[in-house]
Amino acid sequence: MNKTSVSLSLAALALLLSAPAMAHHSFGAEYDANKPITLTGVVTKVEWMNPHSYFFLDVTDSKGVVANWKFEGFPPNVLYRTGWKRDVTLRPSDTITVFGWRARDGTNWGHSREVTFKDGKKLFFGPPAGTGDGGNISAVAP
Amino acid sequence: MSRVIFSALFALAVAYAQQTQPATPSMPRTADGKPDMTGVWQGGSNRPGTWEEANAPGGLGGGPARAGAGRGPGAFPPREPAPYQDWAKAKVQESFDRRGIDDPMARCLMGGIPRTTTVGLFPMQIVQTPTQVIMLYELLHAFRVIPLNAKHPDDLEPTYMGDSVGHWEGDTLVVDVISFNDRTWIGATGTFHSEAMHVTERYTRVDYNRINYDVTVEDPKVLTKPWIMHSSLMLRNGTRLREYECAENNSDIQHYEEMLKDESLFRRK
Repeated sequence: MNKTSVSLSLAALALLLSAPAMAHHSFGAEYDANKPITLTGVVTKVEWMNPHSYFFLDVTDSKGVVANWKFEGFPPNVLYRTGWKRDVTLRPSDTITVFGWRARDGTNWGHSREVTFKDGKKLFFGPPAGTGDGGNISAVAP
Repeated sequence: MSRVIFSALFALAVAYAQQTQPATPSMPRTADGKPDMTGVWQGGSNRPGTWEEANAPGGLGGGPARAGAGRGPGAFPPREPAPYQDWAKAKVQESFDRRGIDDPMARCLMGGIPRTTTVGLFPMQIVQTPTQVIMLYELLHAFRVIPLNAKHPDDLEPTYMGDSVGHWEGDTLVVDVISFNDRTWIGATGTFHSEAMHVTERYTRVDYNRINYDVTVEDPKVLTKPWIMHSSLMLRNGTRLREYECAENNSDIQHYEEMLKDESLFRRK
């Protein structure tokens, strides 16, 4: 193996080491990256807690039926560093749009990524799809 | 007179330019001449700047740096597999196929070394003295007290973070870590190890912004050869460690138990 291929392989190993290790737990065990969802609704509750924060959203469908959705996201320490403030940034009765991915169990539950506020401001409430579940290729795959 | 005014204006312009474009400070050293690594750092990154600058626009946890952006994550192919023995390879693959649902950290257990160092979502802090180096991790309240030029104690028992001793080799801090339990992962999903794991970390502050983090993992019970990894820690001025009490409401575990009743719901194959 020549010097160049060694350094390329080491760079790949660095990726293996670092890239999947971003989250507290596996995304893919609970959520489906093939089921993205965007919903607009009214915030009913915000749970600012570890290891994940949650917000709940009343979403009204075209027939006027209201369903309450739960979205998971970052813990408070990470939310602070992402630009959120407890009891200030997101409050019950706020209307927001959330982009995320649905839970595999098919209930009204999702993994949140980006929240868009009424004034157009956007903030990340959770990490991207695929964190913590190993990515696309296993550490031992040839 | 006009020359005096011109000189004064020129001096002002130079001062203004220096103020608006501050040069990157040189690498700091301690009184005893060692590179001073005291500060708050982010692992798993190779981007300089404040936390906000370095993690935008992808957002925190937005993944590794761009491909080709230098050393560290964001690498490019080709790759080679982690050097596991065949029986162990199958076990790692099984964890991957189950999408890491058995990740010990999902149960709020400390992540071990080197994994804890490379979780970029949570910063770490280094406090350096002439006789010991302290490493504090926001992730799961982990800490390490690393005595310099000392031997490992003779009354060790297996632990999540292992036992660390360090010494300087020129400008590189070399940390020797042993006495691990077998309940942490080395890094990627399923990368288990035995209690025989021996980790050698090399911390080299190469400039103001960066520490090169070079790791050799040896475990003759599960690996065929030493597993060598390279990444970096990036200085994050203005960031402080906050609290992360993982056990507060770890409701994902209950959800996992439900999912495990029918693995076909989430299994890769």
